[in-house]
Amino acid sequence: MKFLCVECDEQMKLMGTKGPDRGSMTVLFECASCGKQTAMLTNSMETQMVSSLGVSIGGRTSKPEPMEMLRSSLITEDGDGAAPAPESAPAPEADRASSGDGASKCPFTGMVNEAMTSGDLEWTDEARERMERIPSFVRPMVQRGIENHARAKGLTRIDRGVLEAVRKDMGM
Amino acid sequence: MKTYHDIATDGGSDVVGQVGDQMERLRARLSQVDHVVAITSGKGGVGKSMMTVLLATAAARLGLRVGILDADLNGTSQVRMTGVQRGAERTVDGILPAETADGVRVMSIDLFLRAEEPVRWKTTADGPSHSWRGLVEMGALREMLSDTDWGSLDLLLIDLPPGSDKLPGLVELVEDLDAAVLVTIPSQLSKYVVRKSVRNVLDAMDGRPVALIENMHGFECPTCGTHHDLFPTGDRDSLADINGLTRIGSIPFDPRIGEHVDEGAAFPVDESTPAGRAIMEAATALAGLLALDVERGPSKPANTNGHTS
Repeated sequence: MKFLCVECDEQMKLMGTKGPDRGSMTVLFECASCGKQTAMLTNSMETQMVSSLGVSIGGRTSKPEPMEMLRSSLITEDGDGAAPAPESAPAPEADRASSGDGASKCPFTGMVNEAMTSGDLEWTDEARERMERIPSFVRPMVQRGIENHARAKGLTRIDRGVLEAVRKDMGM
Repeated sequence: MKTYHDIATDGGSDVVGQVGDQMERLRARLSQVDHVVAITSGKGGVGKSMMTVLLATAAARLGLRVGILDADLNGTSQVRMTGVQRGAERTVDGILPAETADGVRVMSIDLFLRAEEPVRWKTTADGPSHSWRGLVEMGALREMLSDTDWGSLDLLLIDLPPGSDKLPGLVELVEDLDAAVLVTIPSQLSKYVVRKSVRNVLDAMDGRPVALIENMHGFECPTCGTHHDLFPTGDRDSLADINGLTRIGSIPFDPRIGEHVDEGAAFPVDESTPAGRAIMEAATALAGLLALDVERGPSKPANTNGHTS
């Protein structure tokens, strides 16, 4: 599926994702030329179909874990899609992690490119307003840089102070 | 106004590219497998899964490095029949398969489940599951093929769910599928189903070998050695002749096979029993069909090595 800004006749770029929230994903697209945004909202069936393909919305920044879709989607008594512990001790020469390693509780882990989602960060209204002053064609890149900075600092909220700190770090 | 085809990418996710990467990963993994063979049947209850285990064991005793993929997700049986340990360990290169006493490497979704735990999938979809379940199961099959650290194999047997309709999906997934083995029994009903389905199998395989194994081909009295048919013989031989199948074996019924696999113990696939001899002959014939070099003679010691991770 591709998104076209009809006014500009230009492809819209994926900006971020949120969810799943009660089975629904929000996928945000923006026109690099005029800044107009469109949100694609999936229903639970559509979300499931994408998950079933084993792909990541927003693209992948790392290789998928082995049997990622299977292990995260399978309901087990262990509750997390992990295999039961092997009945014998692993041979020492093998580089082995526990069988539960890499198997997420959420069936949609890996579906969303973590570099693209803002779901874990709260933007204050003031910070959003300041971002509006940034030219739209560079705004996505600036936003990503700010969010990466915030995550690196362990922050969950982006306000004016965070924007100032990023500016200072960049020598601006 | 631009159309879909005027735009090169999808704007960020590159779903098509990701699916392409999945197939590349599968191809890379299967490049270490010399021959991939699908085990199929026209109907259930003919002993297809058991035949997969027996053929694999026989092939291992012929000196081949063999793997089994249990692709019958909703009727998994390979873990139970081979008696391998549950649990799936991670290596740097994927998920390790379990290994039988004969060195046959086994991957099954059952390895991720406790005994008697059914296969169930998490979902957020509110509607009926038939719209997405097939996609999930095909994805699971793909992942088990591509993410199992098989190591180097001479032969990978894929135990499909019953029904010849499952084969075309596998053919699309595994581009280099070498052959299919169709398992049947001598009953008139089974032959009828095979005749109905064999055209689908031959079309799906598109010129690649399709072998026929007849299971439960009578039994030999353990006391006097007299052969008895379990089913009326009818036109058994004409099935292979008319449809161009390559018959590779007729396996007599032996209740000890069932006893062994029920316990997860290996049935003696060797010259000591009529069934054992027939299975070895069938495995040798399959190897011949695939141009695999094996020496038929006394069974070789189990091949438990040749696997690095």
